Amino acid sequence: MTTQIADLSTERKAEIKEIVCDILELELDEVTDTSLFKEEHDADSLRTIEILASMERNFGLVLEQAELSRMVNLAGVYAVVAEAEGK
Amino acid sequence: MSADAVTTAQDLVVSGWAVSSPYGLGRDGFTTGLREGRRAVATLDSEQWPVPYDEAGLIPGFDIKAVLGRKGTRSMDRVTAIAATTVGMLLEEYGTGLAADPESTGLVLGTSGSVQSIMDFTRDALTGKAPYLVDPARFPNTVMNCPTGQSAIRHTLKGPNVTVSGGAATGLLALNYASRLLRGGHATTLLAGAAEEFSVQRARLEQVADHGGSAAEPLGEGAALFLLESGAAARDSGRTVLATVLGCRFRAFRSTGRASAVLKSCIDDVLAAAGRGPDDIALIAPGTPPGVFGKEEKVALDGFAAPRLAVRPLIGDTTAAGAAFQLAAVLAESAARPELADRLALVTAVDRDGTVGAALIRLG
Repeated sequence: MTTQIADLSTERKAEIKEIVCDILELELDEVTDTSLFKEEHDADSLRTIEILASMERNFGLVLEQAELSRMVNLAGVYAVVAEAEGK
Repeated sequence: MSADAVTTAQDLVVSGWAVSSPYGLGRDGFTTGLREGRRAVATLDSEQWPVPYDEAGLIPGFDIKAVLGRKGTRSMDRVTAIAATTVGMLLEEYGTGLAADPESTGLVLGTSGSVQSIMDFTRDALTGKAPYLVDPARFPNTVMNCPTGQSAIRHTLKGPNVTVSGGAATGLLALNYASRLLRGGHATTLLAGAAEEFSVQRARLEQVADHGGSAAEPLGEGAALFLLESGAAARDSGRTVLATVLGCRFRAFRSTGRASAVLKSCIDDVLAAAGRGPDDIALIAPGTPPGVFGKEEKVALDGFAAPRLAVRPLIGDTTAAGAAFQLAAVLAESAARPELADRLALVTAVDRDGTVGAALIRLG
């Protein structure tokens, strides 16, 4: 992974976290940047696809399904969105 | 009782029931409302429901998140919520001991799914920026077994999970399907019944559908579910036998004018198989569809003197749930009138697409 990708703004991260928590039906303080959606928050495969699809719809991005393997926690989602927005 | 002795080893009984109806959640309001003959169809809020109807039989104040909580309901549609709520009520009241054996407890639900969900999802795919920019969480709502599957997941029913769809006869078809599963040893206890939702799209479709030459009648919604098991299983679990299912018969008619004859033969067959006659019937719950379908049903029932319980005029046309509500009305009447014990009740349905059905049950 390169280091040239700009980090997301605090606002964008907050937006993403809000969406993810809504999908996972969790309170904001229950999810950390590194807590795992599947292992720690009982997310099934449909929920992870929902997260990907919401990023595409809300931020007008096009994400490859392959990115799902990186979107295992908030940090992963931030990275995938940051890369896609940097393109 | 000698005529029934042969059936006792394999007798299938109803040992519990639950309803979500335009009278509210639960059996009490349903029973009282029906027995008072109070019409539960009310004026619609045209802003919330932009439909070509002035009134409908809605479950009063039914709010998915208020009834089921926030967990697991974010993308749940109305028919799924109605089904899950009614399954929950049935298990809460009668489900003692069932949780110990979830693999032997299943659900047979009559529903055609949610036409609203199907059309919403399709519209999103057509009107969004790209066809795939839809909400994937809403996709499961577009298949007709969603209410059945979600209800079982929510309430940990790991036995057979079956969705049955057959228009006005749906509730009876589900009852019959569940009976076969039990006789075949595929489950010990089944929740069987049917569910229907009110929605804008359903209303728009029904408004222009064929109602036997009559105008569309107000729509209703809700679910009626029954706990079905062998008499022995009910006794072992300490559940009271509310009714015994003596049999169901179904036939198809090619032309509407034949509906009464084929329904009559269903009734004759099911009576003959039970070794009973028309005079043994103490209660009839007909489907009372509008127009020529209703006339055909009436003709088929002409030779039967038993009083009629008409549910549809009170709660509206509940389509897929209609026949299940008719059976629920029979149980409500039976509970209120103990003198009906050991008498028979007949439930009939005539569907506009060509199916007729009759179910015979012994009360008490």
